Amino acid sequence: MYLSRRFALGCVLAAVIGTVCSAQAASRLPGELSWTIGSDPRTFDPAKVDDQWSELVRYLTAGVLVRFNRLTQSVEPALAESWSQSADGKTVRFRLRAGLQFSSGASLTSRDAAWSIRRVLLPATGAPVAEEFLTPDKVTVETPDSRTVVVHLPARVIGIGKVFDEIAIEPADHPSEGRVTAGPFVIADYQRLRYIRLTRNPHYFGRDRSEAALPYASGIRLDILQDPEQQVRLFLRGDYDFIDNLPPDYFEMLKRRDPSLVRDLGPSLNTEQLWFNQAPSAPLPQWEKLWFQSRVFRTAISLAIHRADLARLAYEGHATPAYAFISPANVTWYDRNIEVPHEDVNAARSALARAGFHLRGSQLQDADGHPVKFSILTNAGNAARLKMATLIQQDLSALGMQVTVVTLDFPALIERLMHTQDYEACLLGLANVDPDPNAMMNLWLSSSPNHQWNPSEKKPATAWEAEIDRLMQLQASTSNQIKREAAMDRVQQIVADQQPFIYLVYPNILFAVSPRLEGVHPAVLAPRLAWNADRLRLRGMQ
Amino acid sequence: MTVRRIAAGLLIGLLLAAALILAAPGSSYSHQDRSQPFAGASTAHPAGTDALGRDRMVRVSAALLLSLAGSLAASAVTTAAAAGAGVLGAFGPAGCGWFVVLVCDVFLALPWLFLLMMVRSVLPLTTSPADSAAITFLVLAALGWPACARAVYRGALRLKRSGWMLQARAAGLHPHQVARAAIPNLAPLLLPQFLVCIPAFIIAEANLGALGLGIGEPLPSWGGMLLELDDSAMLLETRWVYLPILLLVVVLLLLEAVAVEV
Amino acid sequence: MRFGLRVAHWVARALLILLLVIIGTNLLVRYAPGYLTDEREMDARYASGARAELSIEAAQSSSLIRMTTSEMEGWMHGSGGVSRQYGVPVSELILPRLAVSGRLLLCALPIAWFLAASGSICASLGRKPSPIWHAPAALLLAIPTAALATLCLLIEHGGPVLVMALLLAARDFKFLQRTLRASWLEPHLLHARALGIPTGRLLWSHVLPDIAPRLAALIPLSIVTALSAIVPVEVIFNVEGIGQLAWNAAMNRDLPVLLGATMIMALAVIVSGTVANREDQSSEWNRA
Repeated sequence: MYLSRRFALGCVLAAVIGTVCSAQAASRLPGELSWTIGSDPRTFDPAKVDDQWSELVRYLTAGVLVRFNRLTQSVEPALAESWSQSADGKTVRFRLRAGLQFSSGASLTSRDAAWSIRRVLLPATGAPVAEEFLTPDKVTVETPDSRTVVVHLPARVIGIGKVFDEIAIEPADHPSEGRVTAGPFVIADYQRLRYIRLTRNPHYFGRDRSEAALPYASGIRLDILQDPEQQVRLFLRGDYDFIDNLPPDYFEMLKRRDPSLVRDLGPSLNTEQLWFNQAPSAPLPQWEKLWFQSRVFRTAISLAIHRADLARLAYEGHATPAYAFISPANVTWYDRNIEVPHEDVNAARSALARAGFHLRGSQLQDADGHPVKFSILTNAGNAARLKMATLIQQDLSALGMQVTVVTLDFPALIERLMHTQDYEACLLGLANVDPDPNAMMNLWLSSSPNHQWNPSEKKPATAWEAEIDRLMQLQASTSNQIKREAAMDRVQQIVADQQPFIYLVYPNILFAVSPRLEGVHPAVLAPRLAWNADRLRLRGMQ
Repeated sequence: MTVRRIAAGLLIGLLLAAALILAAPGSSYSHQDRSQPFAGASTAHPAGTDALGRDRMVRVSAALLLSLAGSLAASAVTTAAAAGAGVLGAFGPAGCGWFVVLVCDVFLALPWLFLLMMVRSVLPLTTSPADSAAITFLVLAALGWPACARAVYRGALRLKRSGWMLQARAAGLHPHQVARAAIPNLAPLLLPQFLVCIPAFIIAEANLGALGLGIGEPLPSWGGMLLELDDSAMLLETRWVYLPILLLVVVLLLLEAVAVEV
Repeated sequence: MRFGLRVAHWVARALLILLLVIIGTNLLVRYAPGYLTDEREMDARYASGARAELSIEAAQSSSLIRMTTSEMEGWMHGSGGVSRQYGVPVSELILPRLAVSGRLLLCALPIAWFLAASGSICASLGRKPSPIWHAPAALLLAIPTAALATLCLLIEHGGPVLVMALLLAARDFKFLQRTLRASWLEPHLLHARALGIPTGRLLWSHVLPDIAPRLAALIPLSIVTALSAIVPVEVIFNVEGIGQLAWNAAMNRDLPVLLGATMIMALAVIVSGTVANREDQSSEWNRA
């Protein structure tokens, strides 16, 4: 009697659990592509784009005069059927295609293009892309006729074609925040923290080889989702068409399931590096500043780190050991001939000994008897970086150094790096979205706030930093490719000699693609899989 | 032998086994055998290795001792604080109860996550992993008491109005004597609180790693091992990833059997 | 008259709690590391714009008193202030999500209580209940929420309601089981059992009324646990509720939104405490 009561109760329990179960539903429109983004875009105003996801939405919706092809890395006509630059580089002329229209059906003329460019240049707009013009207030725009736009620059701008890739042409006097566009898609719906829905622009100028209208897809749904576990599950269920930046462990899991689902494109343009705080104003003990400012100390650290292990264990083999700031994926600027310090623990020990460091038991001390102890900061939530930091901790213990690994959430980390300078060493990555070294000016110029190891220097603290400043300015001021490459080769060699950044790995480009998705030609540059979104379609879709 | 004694014996046996594994010659929780990440069971590594080639058996043993000690201490402190606050509110001077409940309500609503961030910002970055672990459990103990304190307060109030308590007070017992008599009667509230806090603190310690607190590398964290279970890629990599959670369930059941009051 | 005084007292107490919560939240969030930072500062393309915005904000948030009064003004006007992250009124963000979180709680809590009660009955009744009945609760307490969510995703069944209900049930079971066991072993119940009175009648007529006041004390504890559990559950399952919003606001240091979320939490705690008081008093009344 008593047992049967319990049994009955158990059945009720099972029934309750069973009825509570519910699967997650997905809603997708026919012919619609779908993938995820990490967070809400900050803005839909294409002139004010200042974050990664706003940039993606702009890329997918904006009509631009010329497009920087992410695959071939060349500038191609877009709304402009042709463009030219004068010999001195100060005049850029665009000839618009005939019969252009916005998504609303209104005509697109040179007046709209001129208005959009002027709006971007206005200080009140605060457009980040305006800085690319160097002196935006001195730029003028003319429209000799309804299909011609002439831009007069006060000075040559290297890579000016790519700059116009970021200027969306909007209806004159009526900025629409992506609701009226000349690009392949138009923003149709936005639910904060949930998704952004784009629909096909029926008046898009693009045509494929058989003159069929582009884009092929009826629309795109960008779900706002960070959790990789959910992304993978929903991808396998068919809710998403691809996953970019796939973590290495999920890559292997999907590969075991079906190797055709995943691709490893090889090294990306991105780097993962470790650097020491060399700022004289940092709130650190003086002896620590002396260590970190010492080339011998930094080089010894670099010699002791086993980069092959970092690539193999932290990235499950999906990374390439790095010794320089330009990745081999950047074929134009990568210098194979620079001399870099390779792993050699004995050489590291000898170098430290010559610099006055000595072992007391198993603890390394400097010449004044201070034990060599420091912390490595990295951001929380990145398993690969935490593994790298733990591996480096072990590598440096072979030298007798005691390293503490600290993970912080990103805002707290930024405060220490950019505001208080209260850190000793940091392990972070750098996402290089542009192969041209001009995009790295703010990283290498000693006066820049983003000159990570010693920001905002009033004058270069060392001769080698002064030399880097000179070389970076040189390559930014000439269009002579040979001179530019020579300058950048020299910068790479200086960085390899001085090790302000100890480069660790170039993470590989890992992604998963649904077998239903056609037209995928992944590129090294972002948006890697969606750079040709107008030509992507689902199998079976006309 | 009673169930309680058997459970206590098993628990002590488990802890001793963990200590012996840790103390065995050649065992190290931080040594990385980099040629054997995610290795299966072998004579060298009976429970296999983790992603960095570290012996899983040694790490789990170290994590068990470290995290259990920390969470037991923190749970004891937080339960004692809840008991103290609740009993003080019920048996203390007039208005004390009102104040205790007010403090609990405010405490429960505030986003203490930011206090934890402040604690991290005040600590030196070179705080050792063991010190960081101790501070983390201390902070958790300081923050975990209000929810239960309210329930204890209500329970103590009911006791105060019960027949035997009224008789005791009428017989002239001092308030502190009365409070001491009340505490064992609050065991049905306090013991579950103590037992529920143990796994909660173990997992919370691992989550606090995102704020720079918690048990730092290379010390093993039991909570960190449990959090590996949320990675399906890890679940498919090796079955040994389930070892920490199985051990935790066993420990919780043994503690439940030991902490029985009837 | 007495009722009016009680209501006035309740309102005054609630307002005091809300005021303390506002001040405390402002203090904690404003002075925690990372408030005046922006991840765009790390991107050289956008850094200067981000710094310009931050310097304006630094000037506006230099005084805690000014910040607090500004927040309170926002709530007086009904907008709740403007979100730092999204630039829209806080009420516009919070109100639609209240319904989602409310539904989640209203579904999960009764299921959790039912599961806890059923499990407690199984684990408490009988002469010597086996400790093995505690195994499911021990397992659920040991599994992190994220792991439970992963399990649901792997087996393609279950969702936020199930995970929340199981987590709460495990915690509530611990308290309920001991309370039930203690009551089951009361002398008058032992006598009734010896006389052969059916278990069901004993539970309904004697055990439940006996433990009702103690259950009333456990209700706020359960609700508070549920409110804490709602954050990881909504974040992991991507449910568009208050918990997800609050977590996002915490990670991005969005003070106005965080303040809204903490005030809702405070109100929930106050109301649950009031309900417990009422239950307590009515039980006392019934027993008198």
